[in-house]
Amino acid sequence: MAWVTDWAPTADELNSCIDCGLCLPACPTFRLTGDESASPRGRIAAMRAVAGGRAPLDGRFAEIMDLCLQCRACETACPSLVPFGRMMEGARGEVAAHRPDAPTIGRRVLFGRLIGSRVLVALASAAVGLAQRAGLASVGSGPLRKAAALRPIPIPVPTAAGREWLPDGTPIGTVALLSGCVMDAWYSQTHIAVIQVLRTAGYRVVAPPNQTCCGALAAHEGAVYDAARLAERNAEAFEGYDRIVVDSAGCSAHMKGYRHWADGGAKVADRVVDANEFVAQLLTEGLLPVIEGDVPIGIQDPCHLRHAQRIVEAPRAILGAAGCVPIEIDPAGMCCGAAGAYQLTHPDVSDQLGRIKADQIAGAGVAVVASPNPGCEMQLRAHVPPDVEVVHPIEVYWDKIK
Amino acid sequence: MDATARLIELLGVDRVRTEPIDRMVYAKDSGVTAGEPAIVVLPETTAEVAAVVRIAAAFDMPIVARGAGTGLAGGAVACPGALLVVLTRMNQIVMVDEVGRTALVGPGLINLDLSHALVGRNLHFAPDPSSQQASTIGGNAATNAGGPHCLAEGSTVAHVLGVEVVSADGEILMLGGAAPDPPGYDLRGLMVGSEGTLGIVTQLLVRLTENPPQTVTMLIAFDDINDAARTGSDIIGAGLVPAALEMMDHEMIVAIENFVSAGLPVEADAVLLAEVVGHADGVAEEAGVIRSIAVRNRATDVRVASDEDERALLWKGRKSAFGAIAQAAPDYYLNDTVVPRTRFVDVLGEIYAIADRYGIRLMNVFHAGDGNLHPLVSYDASQPGMTDIVVEAAHEMVCVAVAAGGTLSGEHGIGLEKRDLMDQVFTDVDLDAQARISQAFDPARRMNPGKVLPDGARCFDRPSS
Ligand SMILES: Cc1cc2nc3c(=O)[nH]c(=O)nc-3n(C[C@H](O)[C@H](O)[C@H](O)COP(=O)(O)OP(=O)(O)OC[C@H]3O[C@@H](n4cnc5c(N)ncnc54)[C@H](O)[C@@H]3O)c2cc1C
Ligand code: SF4
Ligand code: SF4
Repeated sequence: MAWVTDWAPTADELNSCIDCGLCLPACPTFRLTGDESASPRGRIAAMRAVAGGRAPLDGRFAEIMDLCLQCRACETACPSLVPFGRMMEGARGEVAAHRPDAPTIGRRVLFGRLIGSRVLVALASAAVGLAQRAGLASVGSGPLRKAAALRPIPIPVPTAAGREWLPDGTPIGTVALLSGCVMDAWYSQTHIAVIQVLRTAGYRVVAPPNQTCCGALAAHEGAVYDAARLAERNAEAFEGYDRIVVDSAGCSAHMKGYRHWADGGAKVADRVVDANEFVAQLLTEGLLPVIEGDVPIGIQDPCHLRHAQRIVEAPRAILGAAGCVPIEIDPAGMCCGAAGAYQLTHPDVSDQLGRIKADQIAGAGVAVVASPNPGCEMQLRAHVPPDVEVVHPIEVYWDKIK
Repeated sequence: MDATARLIELLGVDRVRTEPIDRMVYAKDSGVTAGEPAIVVLPETTAEVAAVVRIAAAFDMPIVARGAGTGLAGGAVACPGALLVVLTRMNQIVMVDEVGRTALVGPGLINLDLSHALVGRNLHFAPDPSSQQASTIGGNAATNAGGPHCLAEGSTVAHVLGVEVVSADGEILMLGGAAPDPPGYDLRGLMVGSEGTLGIVTQLLVRLTENPPQTVTMLIAFDDINDAARTGSDIIGAGLVPAALEMMDHEMIVAIENFVSAGLPVEADAVLLAEVVGHADGVAEEAGVIRSIAVRNRATDVRVASDEDERALLWKGRKSAFGAIAQAAPDYYLNDTVVPRTRFVDVLGEIYAIADRYGIRLMNVFHAGDGNLHPLVSYDASQPGMTDIVVEAAHEMVCVAVAAGGTLSGEHGIGLEKRDLMDQVFTDVDLDAQARISQAFDPARRMNPGKVLPDGARCFDRPSS
């Protein structure tokens, strides 16, 4: 059996793994199961077996790929620098191409097509917003309980795209903002905080009108053609901006990998900065105020910040500038189980990881935890006791300086 | 009922694997050989392991134990028709006795997880193979793993006080124990290092070591690898026993630095990583002696880790060495010979000469303190004939080491890959004595057959990937 898409794991990528096994303990699914087939090395072995024609691309292969959280903790642990996240997206693309009618089709349509449509996301979000108001979410379980962990969704659903914000004085520069798909609708406070902080530093912020969803969720689900389409559209929409600020770690990580997804992708990728990274840089440049203080606050690292982009210090520096003392809750940086759509597709694994994280937070004895990613924020909120507050570092900072 | 049905009845369908792709996923450890098991099981208790072994015996299946599969000698590679018993789920810390400094643990517990669990109690588990973040304590015991700090602390056998073992016929034995010198034969010592050929270890009583009051870690750079080797040799010759004394050559330093960004001297021809531990006065004095020996041997730079973070970073670099070599080429072949300290510099020279003669790329990272060399050939197995060239060169390197009075394997074990070299270091009488031991424990040769002892036809192939 040969691979059929342009995104399949390449021979060089597959060869870059030398089976040393040093990534195993970093992998949450291996930790939970002790099973090689649920480990990075085992998943690569399975990809090799299919690539080499020794095993069929069947339901069991799909299952092995599907259990991966795509947290990329294995990449941080790997001394051979194996590009696991890239390979897994390719392998998922192959599963989708070989098994178009697999049960995962719904997810692919949702994340590949519908999410790119601002109108549909707004409608769906308004529906959740109404459910929240009706109090339905608080009685439910599973997805409904997760909805309860969402922030209240404003109606009408806002969007940042097509707008522009000027600083008080003469702008020192212009940055483009990714308005995003769900970020736009569900996390407009995060957008506001980021925009205000950038304005304070003296930047003009523009959310280009033609942009769309970054395509991370599509790529994670193996909807490779949709991911490519979305990347191409954004490559056009962000043409001409030398800095693109992205305030969701999953999206910034994905856009930094645009070279795999669109012809002009590399050009966009090199100009993408995660909002945490950028705000921390503005702090070191002395463009933003620093507040003194010693309020303890737990810090949780989103995988796509810590593992995919190796950004660890930035959110801590931002909290420090907000007068807080960041308290480590998990030195290993294990995934909280949110992992995008994973919390819906594998609720058991997701909940186990969420509970581990909640225990770590309890162990650290903090009343507030900061997590710079919306998916993690929702997951944490669903698992910590109600008296523990979950916040976003840049929002904490904006709150202090505004 | 067939074996699979019996196993599913015992363990449930989730912990019994027979699908082709699952068997392929379990076909390898970190070495170069491959072999698919017939069935993979993931037991959780000693009773389950014993029942699994009895089922395998009833169906006359060979049994291969597996920890994390980080072995470098093919020890956990299945022979045809084998039942692979994966012990990773047996990873409990059953008990820690802080006063007696022991812990009772499952064989699947990851080495470093034990030391992490002991943080704050001033204790750690001393054996520190470079794979310690991933390898299991059961696997460490089965291979008698060594590591940088085993120079002063001894290899795993010095840290395993007792083992619970499931024998080839499914009986549960307790060997050794907390008493310093249990009466009778030291069967515990026999079990450690037996690579799964005498039984399956299902629980271990391990010795815990007190953390040293003071640690100094030094990174010493040289313009010539021979100067580094001589420094290593002189340090031991001066009667010092540093806690660790590791050497890395130029190619290795570059690859490691790519991964850890620890500010390693990438322009050096070789570096020594030396660590001394103990009370403050003694440590300062020893560090001073090492520095002067190094300077006498033309060291170009001596860097002392300024805090625990820097120390950890230097060790992380050292311990990622094997993994980092893949940046150079996709495949590797690793030797594990030990040579006497006095012949160290010569043998190293001869090994580089062999590599040159075969036109292969050699990287070196090794325990300079005890002469345990790990010449590592990095190559691309997809080039036709390359694997054969590498294996031939590697065997020649082993022969050079053995001719200099050294031995085959310092710590990684014999397994499959070095089995056919056993006659280089043992006489027929020696080998016969070893075979009788295996006969006594496992008359049917059911436990990891074909490993360690050279007999029978080779039934393994190199991976086709
Ligand atoms: C990057 C890297 C660095 C390494 N560095 C070192 C080093 O510094 N020093 C060193 O000594 N080794 C080193 N090794 C080799 C390897 O990690 C060790 O041999 C380790 O002890 C193997 O443990 P494991 O759990 O992976 O065992 P496995 O590879 O799964 O098994 C190894 C052998 O032990 C047997 N076995 C495993 N568990 C049991 C059990 N419970 N009962 C009976 N038999 C069992 C298996 O059958 C097999 O024969 C390194 C390997 C890698 C990949
Ligand atoms: S991405 Fe995460 S879950 Fe997937 S193999 Fe790597 S560490 Fe494991
Ligand atoms: S750490 Fe890297 S090279 Fe080693 S097994 Fe994992 S992915 Fe492969």
